[in-house]
Amino acid sequence: MTALPRRIIKETQRLMQEPVPGISAVPDDSNARYFHVIVTGPEDSPFEGGLFKLELFLPEDYPMSAPKVRFITKIYHPNIDRLGRICLDILKDKWSPALQIRTVLLSIQALLSAPNPDDPLANDVAELWKVNEAEAIRNAKEWTRRYAMDN
Amino acid sequence: MGNCLKGSTADDISLLRGSDGTRDSSSSDQLGPPPPYQEAMPVYYPSPNVSRPAAQLTEEEQVKIAKRIGLIQHLPAGTYDGCKKNRECVICMIEFMVGDAVRYLPCMHIYHVECIDDWLMRSFTCPSCMEPVDAALLTSYETN
Repeated sequence: MTALPRRIIKETQRLMQEPVPGISAVPDDSNARYFHVIVTGPEDSPFEGGLFKLELFLPEDYPMSAPKVRFITKIYHPNIDRLGRICLDILKDKWSPALQIRTVLLSIQALLSAPNPDDPLANDVAELWKVNEAEAIRNAKEWTRRYAMDN
Repeated sequence: MGNCLKGSTADDISLLRGSDGTRDSSSSDQLGPPPPYQEAMPVYYPSPNVSRPAAQLTEEEQVKIAKRIGLIQHLPAGTYDGCKKNRECVICMIEFMVGDAVRYLPCMHIYHVECIDDWLMRSFTCPSCMEPVDAALLTSYETN
């Protein structure tokens, strides 16, 4: 087993010492590269009031390649598919080693505030978001109530 | 089975299963000391998400990588002089120590040579400002 890089230790310590408001990321007891994440739905978004579970894994060559992040809680969002995979440029071709776990999770939280139906991952959701935004937002609120509250 | 230690996939799996270490130590007890470490074939990154061992690169990719190695060698390098403006290498998040080997990108961001060269072999951009390094390099040649 490779030793844990200093950077991962530092990032973990800083996440614990100065947590990001509305975000918690806790390393797994048996694997320091696997984080249990909870993101609270941003205010004034259809996800407000929800607690969304995610998993985050730092690959072997992190920070040369991006963390792998996935929603575990079901969410109705044009850029997140039914498996919880996230369409976000910084997790793919716009990754930079200057980004961190903290900035990645902040970007995901921002994505909840600003869905982008023109760059869809969940096509049916994106389609509805474009043709009938009011109904899409109602669905997102309903899913938030059903899957992201009281548990 | 010594050869399951080769290849990056075996590493990935052992990261996910903490108990692998015990099995490894028991098998090496039976076999005596492990054979000398053999360096695996270097892996290159013709594009950010594509990794391939050297022998499997297309000719076009070989040229791209050779060019990139050449360009990296032209980026100025030096030793950290204690400048207070850059305290920490954002790639490894370790504070610079006077005398560390550092590389200066055309946008004036600095990194440990080892850290930035590893990144530049994957993507020719500055991690901090995302400025393409080759374009900036050419501009600085033209203006000088």
